[in-house]
Amino acid sequence: MTQPPAIRVRHLSHRFGAREVLRDVSFDVQHGEIFGFIGPNGAGKTTTIRVMATLLEPATGRVEIDGLDVSIDPDKVRRLIGYMPDHAGVYERITVREFLEFFADAYQVLDANVVDVVLELTDLKKLDGRLVAELSKGMKQRLQVARILLHDPKVLILDEPASDLDPRARIELRDLLLELRDLGKTIFLSSHILTELSDVCTSVGILERGQLVVAGPIAAIGDELARRGRAEPGAAAAAGSAPGPGRPPEETALTAGGASIPAAARRRLKLRVLGDSRQVVPLLAGGAFVYQVEPAPGGVLTVDYTGDERFVADVVRHLVSQGVGVVGVEPERNELERIFLEVTRGELQ
Amino acid sequence: MSVQTGSSSLPPLASGASLFARLRWSLARLSRDPNPVWMRELRQSARLQRTPVILMTITVAVALLICSVGGIASVTAEPAKVGVGVFHTFFSLAFALVTWLGPAVAASTIAGEKNGRTWEALALTGLPAAQIARGKFLAAYTYIALYLVMLAPVGALPFLFGGVTATEVVLAFFCCFVLAALAVAFGLALSSKFQSSAAAIIVTLMMTLTTSVVVYGALGVGLSMAVHEQWPAVAQGPPVWLPSAWVRADFGLPYLAFLVVTPAVAVAVPTWLFYETTVANLASPSDDRSTRLRVWTITSTLLLAGCCALVGVATRSVDWAMAQASLLFVFFAFTIFMIAGEPLGPSRRVRVAWERQGRGRLLRLLGPGVLPASTWVLSLMLLGFAACVGLGLLTLRTRTDREVLVAFAGQLLAFLVFLCGLSAFFRARAEGATTPRVLLLVTILSASIGPWILMAIAGVVTRSGDAAMALAAPSPTYAFLLAEQMQRGASNLSDLLLPAVLCAAGYALFGMGLLAMAAARVHARLAQERQRLSQLEAMLEAELEAEQQTAQQTDEAVTTTAEPSP
Repeated sequence: MTQPPAIRVRHLSHRFGAREVLRDVSFDVQHGEIFGFIGPNGAGKTTTIRVMATLLEPATGRVEIDGLDVSIDPDKVRRLIGYMPDHAGVYERITVREFLEFFADAYQVLDANVVDVVLELTDLKKLDGRLVAELSKGMKQRLQVARILLHDPKVLILDEPASDLDPRARIELRDLLLELRDLGKTIFLSSHILTELSDVCTSVGILERGQLVVAGPIAAIGDELARRGRAEPGAAAAAGSAPGPGRPPEETALTAGGASIPAAARRRLKLRVLGDSRQVVPLLAGGAFVYQVEPAPGGVLTVDYTGDERFVADVVRHLVSQGVGVVGVEPERNELERIFLEVTRGELQ
Repeated sequence: MSVQTGSSSLPPLASGASLFARLRWSLARLSRDPNPVWMRELRQSARLQRTPVILMTITVAVALLICSVGGIASVTAEPAKVGVGVFHTFFSLAFALVTWLGPAVAASTIAGEKNGRTWEALALTGLPAAQIARGKFLAAYTYIALYLVMLAPVGALPFLFGGVTATEVVLAFFCCFVLAALAVAFGLALSSKFQSSAAAIIVTLMMTLTTSVVVYGALGVGLSMAVHEQWPAVAQGPPVWLPSAWVRADFGLPYLAFLVVTPAVAVAVPTWLFYETTVANLASPSDDRSTRLRVWTITSTLLLAGCCALVGVATRSVDWAMAQASLLFVFFAFTIFMIAGEPLGPSRRVRVAWERQGRGRLLRLLGPGVLPASTWVLSLMLLGFAACVGLGLLTLRTRTDREVLVAFAGQLLAFLVFLCGLSAFFRARAEGATTPRVLLLVTILSASIGPWILMAIAGVVTRSGDAAMALAAPSPTYAFLLAEQMQRGASNLSDLLLPAVLCAAGYALFGMGLLAMAAARVHARLAQERQRLSQLEAMLEAELEAEQQTAQQTDEAVTTTAEPSP
């Protein structure tokens, strides 16, 4: 018998009155993963999360946490999860330590040292005597993370954990999440800020209009989209770009959820070279998998292409061999942003 | 153990421990493992800087007021009368404090958690809803108790003048503490229903301000007249009569019935109901929110029936017997409203929990479900009214009194049977609880008032008031008119009695018919729901099996590839 996934969602549907907010959502989250749940506002992320956290009974479908059905065994599931809601409140007139002591009692934790351990882990030890009301937003969010760690849950469910946080607090939260993953926790976090997810997530699920359009490891989804992009015949090239020799056909790919990809699986790369970038254009234009090369002032070149990271390495190697000094390489969008744009239609929710 | 208080774990109780040892262990557990919600609320309150200021201000204001009242009154009245006046003034203020402040403080507790977005974190800790409700109750009660304790020295001022004994003052404080429990439980029940603390406080204050004035007037000033008639030693008119009656009335069966059992039941039954309502509101809709309320209904019926029996034996009066039947009518009408919000049947979660616990059929009948709930209420109604009428037949002195009671209770019971059937009928067709409750309220109001309006119109048109009177028979309040006419020995009694009997029979039969229709509908809907669930379950199981087979095949393929070739 194989071990059940940390989170298993099958055919989950839900409606509020006449409005259908979730439609046949199914996905798995494996143990030890950091799973990013992405979608625009109103896509159904929080509803899915509330069902997983036993706060909402699903209309149909089944959600299991570590093999336990949330509808049947909510009490056991609550021992397994740590849930941090979006904009969670705190008790203001008690100290950080008292706040955690209360939740330790509420969780019926039998270890008297648990509060110290959690304070240490979340780096709140130096603030333990301070009133919660006096903490910054970032520290309050850290306190929330400390709260959900008190009963040592296997799965952490975080709804928009970095919203309203300043850049420093976001970085600190990201580091804390990575530390927790190293401790063996499975982390499920939702967000509509892709950059905050791309740094930490191993897998993602993208939700749009209550439907899951794609789910799985980021690299696998990217490769799959690129493979489909190459496999299917496409339409004309993007407006304003002249087709070059050897260019793969543009396609209308299908995602795992069955949604069509509106544009080709095209990527864009920004290169910075020494000297005049216009002189470098002939070295790249017309190459295999290259759609378009556009020079810009300041030695900048924008290259539209299809392919993976090996293509980028080949381009750099090729330019260096031709005596061009390459001083910067950056993808215009990261992988997650690209996937998101390709699989979602951007319709109003 | 408690991390908040730093107390260590209690060693587990030995299996063959005596009752005394168990009691001691439970008490030790209470002190070593106090309610975490209560502890946290106390810590928060202790940091609220305005609390001591408010406490001091109220105490000083009340002390000044009482001293002023005493000082002004002592110019013209003798000291003993001044003492009594000060006593009633002080405890009237204490009554206002408890009934206004208690619910207001409690109203902000649970709604405040939802408002402050801390409720979800608290609910997900796994603390049972009952424990959260107890913690919130204790926190609000402690706050109100603190006010009463601060006011205690002011309450002792009547001793300076005389006219009131120390026992009366102590008993009056006891009444305040008991009333505070009721007031806090009421505020908590309302609080559990609201998402915003501001809305909860406003609604609670609106309800308590009106209710407390009515209670003060009717049960305070009003009842003191009746008490004075029964026990002349108790003064007529002053509102705080119960502590004086406890001290001054002669002990006997009426004392036990009216001064001990009735007040105890009158406070315990609603306080318990408010507590159970809070617990039910805090639980998930898929949880078993019915069993505890059903236990309350059964126990309260027994308590009310017992109380009525005691009063019946003590008074042996048909008026009191009718009052008891009316009380039972109000109680059961309320329980019918309550079960109009029952789910159609137990949820999947509840059914699985019952299977795991091995809960028997009888205990399952206490659980969620509109049909078991209606059956319970119907049975309890029959039991309650049978006890009331049966005792009346045994204790009432004249044959007319006995006939009056049978006719009166019979009419009320028949209408309740109709309401019970109607409630189940509406619930079986509705998706939620609001529609059945609204329809039920409209039906009760229409049935109570409508026939009287018809009677009035018919009386004006036909110019024959007596003949038109029978048109009011469908109204449950017609029972009062009929009883009065029977007591007076009216000449046209048969003209009044026949429509009453026909209407009662019609109500009872119609109610049972509605219940049968509701049963058919509920069974059909539940069967449909179970079929849908079992189809979904089968699909999910098949999918899961296929996934596992695929995973197994993948594992085998990996193993085969990894093996070295010979």
